[in-house]
Amino acid sequence: MATLNLKNIKKVYPHSGDQKKAKKKAGEPEKKVNLQVTDEGVVAVQEFSLDIADKEFIVLVGPSGCGKSTTLRMVAGLEEISGGELYIDGKLMNDVEPKNRDIAMVFQSYALYPHMTVYENMAFPLKLRKTPKDEIDKRVKEAAEILDITQYLDRKPKALSGGQRQRVAIGRAIVREPKVLLMDEPLSNLDAKLRNQMRAEIIKLRQKINTTFIYVTHDQTEAMTLGDRIVIMKDGFIQQIGTPQEVFDHPANLFVAGFIGMPQMNFFNAKLLCEGGRYSVSVGGCTVELSEEKQKNLAAHSAGAQDITLGVRPSHMVLAKEAGNTLAATVEVSEMMGSEVHFHANAEGKDVVVIVPTMNAEGEHIESFRAGDQLNLTFSGNVCHVFDKDGKNLEF
Amino acid sequence: MSEPNTALKKPVSVKKVILRLLLYFVVLDVCIITLYPYFAMLCTALKSRAEIFSPNGTVLPITALWSNFIDIWSRAPMARYMLNSVLIAGGSTIIAMLCGIPAAYALARMKFKGQTAFLGVIIVSQMFAPVVLLIGIYKVMLSMGLTDSILGLIFINAAFNQAFTVWLLRGTFMGISAEMEQAATIDGCTRVQSMMKVLLPVAAPGIVTTLIFIFINAWNEYTVALCLISTDGFKPLTVGINTFNGYNIIEWQYLFAASIFAIIPVVILFMCIEKNLVSGLASGGVKG
Ligand SMILES: Nc1ncnc2c1ncn2[C@@H]1O[C@H](COP(=O)(O)OP(=O)(O)OP(=O)(O)O)[C@@H](O)[C@H]1O
Ligand SMILES: [Mg+2]
Repeated sequence: MATLNLKNIKKVYPHSGDQKKAKKKAGEPEKKVNLQVTDEGVVAVQEFSLDIADKEFIVLVGPSGCGKSTTLRMVAGLEEISGGELYIDGKLMNDVEPKNRDIAMVFQSYALYPHMTVYENMAFPLKLRKTPKDEIDKRVKEAAEILDITQYLDRKPKALSGGQRQRVAIGRAIVREPKVLLMDEPLSNLDAKLRNQMRAEIIKLRQKINTTFIYVTHDQTEAMTLGDRIVIMKDGFIQQIGTPQEVFDHPANLFVAGFIGMPQMNFFNAKLLCEGGRYSVSVGGCTVELSEEKQKNLAAHSAGAQDITLGVRPSHMVLAKEAGNTLAATVEVSEMMGSEVHFHANAEGKDVVVIVPTMNAEGEHIESFRAGDQLNLTFSGNVCHVFDKDGKNLEF
Repeated sequence: MSEPNTALKKPVSVKKVILRLLLYFVVLDVCIITLYPYFAMLCTALKSRAEIFSPNGTVLPITALWSNFIDIWSRAPMARYMLNSVLIAGGSTIIAMLCGIPAAYALARMKFKGQTAFLGVIIVSQMFAPVVLLIGIYKVMLSMGLTDSILGLIFINAAFNQAFTVWLLRGTFMGISAEMEQAATIDGCTRVQSMMKVLLPVAAPGIVTTLIFIFINAWNEYTVALCLISTDGFKPLTVGINTFNGYNIIEWQYLFAASIFAIIPVVILFMCIEKNLVSGLASGGVKG
C-alpha cells in the first residue's frame, strides 16, 4: 500500500585493495558485465528512475551482475544510496533505517533464522513491533494458512524442503503487512516444477494481500507472467520499462529484443530503404514494406535510409509457398515440439529459428522439412523490428 | 552403517587390508606415546611413598592407595586453589569474550581501512611466549597494584587469549550468512539487536568452543601466575600443586593425585567442545 519514487538512483561500490588484487588474478576473459568503473569505484547502478504506483507489481529483470539486487537492497536500506533520491509514500527514505521503512524482503537464500521454529520465524517481525500475543498468533496462522505451511509451524527450518523454506520466508515477509514487499530471486533455488507452482502461488498471493511488489529475477518467464510492468536492466542501466506486452512488441533496443522472448528473436543484417516517403526493409532477396504504424514512427524520427539490424521473432517468420520476394534459408536442425516444429536454419550467414505449427486450423498436417531442405521465408511489415547500428530501435 | 550397505560393499583387496593394519598400528603407537604419561601419573598417584622409591618397583601399584586422593585436601588448601583457578579462568573467559565478540563482529561484518594490518597485528601479538613478556607484564601490574592478586591474573589471561578469541570468532561469524542479520534489520531489529537475537544464537557452537578453549588455556596457565602470586591464598591450582614439591622432599603421589584433579575439568570441557563441534546448529537457515 504505497507508492515508490526512485529518482536518478546511483550506486557506487568503492574500490578496495582486495578487489583490485582479485581482478588481476581473475584476468580479462570473464568479462560478461561491463559496469562503468570510475575513480570512486564500480558503478553498479546509475540513472535509475522509476515511479511505482500503489499495489503495482514491478519486476526487475536482467542478466547476472546487472545491478538488480543492488537496486532492491538500496530500496530495502541494506545498501547505502550513493546518489539520487528514494521516496516511499512521498517521504524521503535515503537515510532511514531498514526497520523504519516498513518494507519486507524475501531473500534468495531464504535467510530464515535457523534457531527458531517456523512459527517463531514468522512471529519475529511482529514481536519486535510489540504486537499483542493473540494478534501475533492470529496473523501467523492466517499467513500459514495462505501459504499452506500450517502443519510445519513447530519445525525448525532445517527440517523443511526448499519449497517449504521459501514459503516460510514469504510468510515472514507478509505477516507484517508491509507497505512494500521486496523479493530477490525467490524461486531460483527451486526445481522447475516447484518454480512453476510457486509462481502461480505468488500470483494468487498478490490477489490476497494489498502490497506494492518489487520482484527481482533473471528469468524472463517469471518477469512476463508476474509483472504489471517490467524493468529490464543491463550493466547498471535501465534498458526499458514497460508492460510485458509493450516490451515484447516494442523492444527499445537490440538487448531487450534478444533478452525477452523464447526462442530468441532472429537478427539479420539488412537495409532500411526510404523511397517516396515510404519505408521498407530489405534482407537477402526479400523486401517488405513496413506497417503504417511503423511508417509513422520512423517518419516522426526522420530516419534515413541506412544499414540496420532487422529483428523478427521465430513465430513471426512465415513460410512462403514458392521463392520470389523471399529469404532463402537452409534447414540445419528440426526440433519437433508437439504442436509446433522449431526449424534451425541458415539464412544470409545467420542462424535463424522458424516456428511452424504442425497442423493448420483444419487439422491437416503441414509439410515437414529435413536437414538440407530449402525454406523460403518471409515476414509481415508490422512484426519486424528495425535497429540502428548502435542497437537502438529506430521507432523510439 | 546399515546391513544392506555392507553387503553392497565391494570385496576389499589384500593391499587395502595391509594398509589399514599399518594405519591402525601407527595410530595405536601414537596413542600409547601420548597416553602413557597420564597412565603413569595415575599409577604413581595410587602408590605409597615407599613404593615409589622402592628399587624393584613396578609400573602398576601393588596396592591401590585411594586415600592419597583424600589426603591431598587436608595437606594443602586444594579447595582454595581450585576456587582461585575457577575465578581466574572464568573471569578471564568472560572478559575475553566481552571484548572479543564485538571486535570479531566488526572484523567480520564491516569494512575499514587497515583491516588486514589490524588482523596481522593481532596474530603477531600471539607470537611471543608469555615468558618473553614477563618483565613487562610485571611492571604494568606493579603500576596498577595488581601484582599479587587474582584480578591481575584475570586481566592477563584475558589479554593472552584475546587474539585467539578474535580470530576464532571472526571465522565463525564469517561462516554465517550476513543475509540472516540483514533480514533481521528489515524485520525490525537494530544492528545490535540483530547481532544479539540472530547472529549470536546461530554462532553458539563456535562461541561455546571458543569459550571453552579460553577457559582451558587460562586454567592451565602457570608461568605468569608463578611469578606474580606470592600469597598462598591467591594461588591457582597449577601453582598451588607445587606445595607437594617441597624444599626437602617431593611427594610424588600427592603431586600426581592433585594433578589428576587439575586435569578433570579440562577433560570434561574438551568432551563438551567435541559435542558442540559436531552439532550442525547453523545449518538450515539458508539454502542447502
Ligand atoms: N560489495 C560489492 N562490492 C563491489 N562490487 C559489488 C558488490 N556487490 C555487488 N557488486 C557488483 O555490482 C554488480 C551488481 O551486482 P548485483 O548483485 O546487483 O547483481 P544482480 O543483477 O543481482 O546479479 P545476479 O542475477 O547474479 O544476482 C555486480 O557486477 C557486482 O560485481
Ligand atoms: Mg542478485
